[in-house]
Parts: sequence; C-alpha cells; structure tokens
Amino acid sequence: MKTTRREIMLFAGGSAVGVLFTPAPWRLITDTAMWSENWPGIPRPARGEIRSRYTNCALCPAGCAVRARCVGDQPVALAGVPGHPLTHGALCAFGLAGQHLPYYPARVKQGPVKEAAAAVAEGIAKCGPSEHVVTLDLRPGRTVSWTYRRAMAAVRNGRYVAATPEIGGPVAVDLSQARTVLSLGVPVLDGWGTPGNVIAARPGFRLIQAEAVESRTASMADLWLRIRPGSEDALARGLAGTITPAAAAEATGIPESQIGAVARELADNGPALVLGTSLLASTGRTIVARRETPVPEEWRKAAPVTDLASLPDGSVRVLMIDESAPGEYLPWNAIEKKLAPDNPVVVAFAWSLEGYGRHARYVLPVGVYPEVADDIPPAADSVAATFRIAAPLVAAPAGLVKPEGFVASAAGLPLGDTLRQRADAIHQTGRGSLFTSADGKSSALKEVSADDFWKALNAGGCWIDSPDDGAATAQLAPVAGAAAAAEDSELPLVAVLHRELTPGSPILSKLYQESNLRLGPHGVALHPSCGLEDGARAMFQTLLGKCPVEVALDAGVPPGVVLAAASPAVLDLCANGARAKVVPA
Amino acid sequence: MTLRGKIPFLAGLLIALGAGWIGFPYAIYQRRPQPVDFSHKVHADKAGAKCEDCHSFREDGTFAGLPSLDKCAGCHAAPMGATVAEKNFIDQYVTANRQPRWAVYARQPENVSFSHIVHVKRAGMTCESCHGDTGSSDTLRPYQVDRISGYSRDIWRVQTTRGGVPMPHGMKMADCVECHRRKGLEHSCLDCHK
Repeated sequence: MKTTRREIMLFAGGSAVGVLFTPAPWRLITDTAMWSENWPGIPRPARGEIRSRYTNCALCPAGCAVRARCVGDQPVALAGVPGHPLTHGALCAFGLAGQHLPYYPARVKQGPVKEAAAAVAEGIAKCGPSEHVVTLDLRPGRTVSWTYRRAMAAVRNGRYVAATPEIGGPVAVDLSQARTVLSLGVPVLDGWGTPGNVIAARPGFRLIQAEAVESRTASMADLWLRIRPGSEDALARGLAGTITPAAAAEATGIPESQIGAVARELADNGPALVLGTSLLASTGRTIVARRETPVPEEWRKAAPVTDLASLPDGSVRVLMIDESAPGEYLPWNAIEKKLAPDNPVVVAFAWSLEGYGRHARYVLPVGVYPEVADDIPPAADSVAATFRIAAPLVAAPAGLVKPEGFVASAAGLPLGDTLRQRADAIHQTGRGSLFTSADGKSSALKEVSADDFWKALNAGGCWIDSPDDGAATAQLAPVAGAAAAAEDSELPLVAVLHRELTPGSPILSKLYQESNLRLGPHGVALHPSCGLEDGARAMFQTLLGKCPVEVALDAGVPPGVVLAAASPAVLDLCANGARAKVVPA
Repeated sequence: MTLRGKIPFLAGLLIALGAGWIGFPYAIYQRRPQPVDFSHKVHADKAGAKCEDCHSFREDGTFAGLPSLDKCAGCHAAPMGATVAEKNFIDQYVTANRQPRWAVYARQPENVSFSHIVHVKRAGMTCESCHGDTGSSDTLRPYQVDRISGYSRDIWRVQTTRGGVPMPHGMKMADCVECHRRKGLEHSCLDCHK
C-alpha cells in the first residue's frame, strides 16, 4: 500500500487536532512556566534549623545591636535587641535590611592586590623629605584605626588622617539629662547619635531646630526656626551675646523677640543642650566627659590624628583610603590637591566603585557588614566608653583584602588579632559591665573570664564602661555637618546635601529609584525664583569644582539654598553647608 | 471525502488523543523509588508511634520534617525483625551512618511559604487532611517528579474537580485554595507566595 502525501498531511492534521484536546500542550506551557521559576541562578532561601544570632550593625557609627534570624547559617531577617542599654531595641530601615549588603550588585570583588602592594612599597621608598605617606580613615576610633596610626608611626613621614573628629574621644552628649535641646542644623532625629537612644530620650526634652530647610528633624521638632541659609553661627553668637539680638535677627531673618525667647528658654528650662556650635558649649550635665575605650599600652606609640587641611598641597606621595566602613566623605577634589603632582599612589579599600574607587589607581576589594569583624566606636550620645564587635553573620567571599593587614604589611608592622588584644586590654581594667544580647542580662566585667568576655563580644555582646566620677568638665566640639559657610558673593547658595544614598540594601535603593519622590543621583532642588527652569540641565559649582546636574524647582526649598542629592559627583565637590551656585549648562 | 479518505485523519486524531491522555501523563513524570521500604503501618501498629513522634515541631514552632537517622537508630541500632528491608536499612544506613535521601512527596517549591504549626495548632487540622492515608500505608510508593518543572506530582494541580467531580484533597495548590475558600479564610496569592 502506497502512502500518499495527502494521507500524511491528513494524519498530521488529525494528530494536531487531537493533541489540542489532550492535557499535553497546556501542561507543557504550565510546566515550562514553573521550570522558569526554579531554573539555576534564581536565589533560593536556605532550608534548615531556625535560630537567632547576635551582632552589632556596622552601617553607621550608632552600632545598633542586632538579632539575626538565621535559617541554617544564612541570616534572613534582622531586628533590634529589646532591652539593650545603648540602642533600646531600635534598628533603622537600613539596619533592618543590612543582611542584603554583601549581595550588592555592583560590589567590587577583585582587585590588583600584588600590584598595589608593590606600588605602595615603591612609593614609600621614594617618599621625599617633604612628602607624606597617608592613611585616610573614614570611620576613626576603631581598632583598625589604631593599627593605621601605629603603621603610620612606623613609616617615615607617615600621617594618619581622620575624616571627622574622632568619635570615642573625651566628650559625649547625655540626651537623657537635657530638658531643652537647640540644634543648629544637626539632624538629631534623623540619623544623629544612636537612633534608639534618641527616641528613648525624646519625651524628656523640647527640641528647637534652627535650620534653613524643613528637614525631617525640623518637621518633627517642637519648634522650627527657619533661619537664613548659613546663619547658624550668627544665631549662636546672638544667643551667646557676642552680637546684639538685632544683629542676629538681621542675619538670621527671624524676629528679635523669637531669639530672645529661645535664649530665655535655654536659661530657664534647663539643663539645656546646644548642638552644632562650640559657642554655646553647655558643659555640665548634658555634656559629659567620657573615657577612651582602653587599648594595649604598646599601641600608644601611634601617629596622632591629623586633619587633611594641615597637609601641604602636593605633598602626599602615597595615599591609602579605608572606606570599608561607611563614614563621612571628604570631597575628593580637596584630597586631590594634596597629592604629589607626579604619579602619586592612591589605593582605595572599597566594596563599591561609588566612592574614592572612581579616582584611585588601585581599588582593592574589602568585606562588608555583616561578613567581616570590626568594632564600633561609641556614638556621640554614648555617655560611657563602649566596645562592641560587628561579628560576621555570613562568610566573606574569597579574594578580599583586609585593609589593616595591607597597611600594616606596607609599614612592616607585625599584626596579631588586634580585636582580641583590645578585648584583653579592656578586660584587664576590670571596669564596667558586659551586656549579653542573647539573654538580655548585664554582669560586672570582673565576674567574667577573658575567654568568656571574648566569646560574648563575638556573640553581639557589649562592654559599657563604668562612670568616670573624677573626670574634668568636658568641652563640646563642633558637630560635623552643621558648620556655617562664610558669605561669598561668587557662590550665593548654601548646599544642603540630601543624603539618601547611604550604603544599604539594594532593595532600599530600588525603592528609592522607583518611587521618584526623592532627588535622583544628579538632581538638585532650587526655589522657583532661582531663574532656572524645572528639568533644566545645569552646572553645580563649588570652590572645589563643578559637575552637571538636573534642576528641580521646589517651593519648599528656601531661596539661597540648593538642595543637592549626595551623589558621588556632588560629594567630590563639597560637604554639607558649603557655598555653591547653580548656573545654566 | 470518502470514509477511506478520512482514515488517516482519524488515525492521527486517535493516536494523539491516546498519547496525550495516557502516554503523556506517564511520560512527564520520572519515578524514583524511596531509599528504604518504610512501613508507616508497622510503626503505628507495632511500635504505637504517632505522627508527631517522628515528624515533630521544634521548640520555636518550626516543623522539623523528616526524622534524622539518629531518631531511627534510637530503636534500629540493631535489626528489628528479619525482613530484607530491615537488613538493607541497617547495613546501608545505620551501620554506615549515612542519612537516607528521602524524596519528600509534599516538598513545596521555594516560592511557597507554608507553616505547619499554624495549620496543626491553630486550625486544628489532622495530618490526614492533607497527607491522606500515608500514615497507615504499608509501603512507600515511588516518588514522581515532573521532568520539566521539577515539582513533586503531589503538590501541583490547578483544578479542584475533574469533569465536575471533586477530586480528593491533598497538598496541591488547588487544595489549599479550596480549603481556605470553604472556611472563609483569606486566600490571596501573597498568603503563601510571600
């Protein structure tokens, strides 16, 4: 029997019709869809026993205590530790999603370690008598900071530069004692100090916020003094009596009577605390002396903390920047002036290329919270010295560099387990108490062995120093970020940086990118009277340089202020409160 | 077209229907025997074991799932009986201290969040409500896994009826939806697919 082409076509047609009346094609569609939900590459949550582990958040200097809910060894959710004497169970949005940070999509995971070490060694060898080898530390006061200082002391012409005044120094703010708080632009309710401690103390004080823009702190303050941009210093001097109330009113734009009322309130409703200026250092009950967290005695042979401005221009031959722990960002353009003109060596220890890594010759990958152990210096509102470790919750990927090891090696400084050495030095003092997060109990340090102390620290524990009754009266240093800029007719605006780019979970970045409610990375907001059009391309200019931006007009931004997103390009040009101008591109 | 002329079409139609309704459901699943021929019935009848004796909750309320070898070895350190299955279990797992790689019929995919304790403690459901008569079975049927999706045959079905006839309840998504709907509970996607 001969099969014709017509019969084959009929058979195929019959088969096609028949298949449509079976579950097969529809099932294949469904199965393929489900297969795509589970194909390789899609992250799968770990399965296993659920348990709690404890650590301390290292995303900001507050160092909030963290309870991590882990499935097996994988942290899947973070929360605060109720009853913690410093952080009171609070954890901010970035802290709550901190376990995502190691998976940051643009993370640096590889770098030319050997080449960088060779270049640094060569740079140190060639360093001239008027040149310097510098380590820049974005978060001073840590144990690794001491390593940097010791390393720089061991190097000829070594300098240790801290981005901000060292936290953990001799002065602290005791918010719990304050009845009236005057803040000159300090974000008291928005990231300053320890959030949990501020929230706990908030019912006890009346907050007066003097600020040109309606920041989140200003909107939540009891009284917002809408002063002219850059007039914080004039207000402080008016309150201190170094200028007349009339002159202060003229400079700040608020009525003389209101300045008088604030002065009376500070005097009558005490104890008062003034943040953001040293002119009104309210020493006594609200500004207290704080001992330094103990260190081994041999560490004292360390380089002093230096200010970047004190270095001569063009004098830095080798610069090593530790930006592994987020901290205050010094404008790159200010740093660049200090570099030697001929081929300086710049090494950045970074986990992303959004900071100094954009400018460094070598970018070396480092671990991030919560995959590396690092200690957290006491916050500005911690009345006692503390010692806490951000204990790792996840394993760090291979190939990362330990910045302190790299710097110590370059300086020929032998390095042991510095965290353990410092813990032992603290234990030898026998002072203070140990809070253990797992059971929420405090015990005197004298009752704990050195090994148990070390174990507790690595399980999220916290050492808190005993009160220093014999301490001298402290003086409050100016708080970073609130410095008033001098008048400048060439740069008529005051830059207020809109910090929404704090390192954190990509999920938070995603929300920020998609909400469109906040300034984008290249956005600035100006008052509609600025003369520019909404959406216009413009140049943002400071004393240190300029960068392109996109203008958004916002009636909520007062005249004389440029609200700029704290993008890497803007941070290269200025700090908060700097003089600036925005001109058409 | 003559009847003879329709034969190829009808042949193709019938073959496709047969393959689609009989051959395809068989071919789409890969069958895998369980590592040990375990009898729930023997353990329930002779040892008086209850479900929760082996499939227990941890202290924090999470479901421990299958017992580890330590639990089995507590009674089976030495052979209990002379069956071939018992001998194999002792030789291959207990003596070798090797965990049996059980294939879990009810294993949900990664995109499903299911809490045993809520259903057992709060809703008061029995194990049989979802797992059927597994607890009284004398042998373990082969584990069937969808060759494409990788899902167990026991956990995925869209319809709750076939030809208008209700299908027995089990551990499929349709069963979850149907039970929640019947009891007037929430059954939005995000309840389980968080």
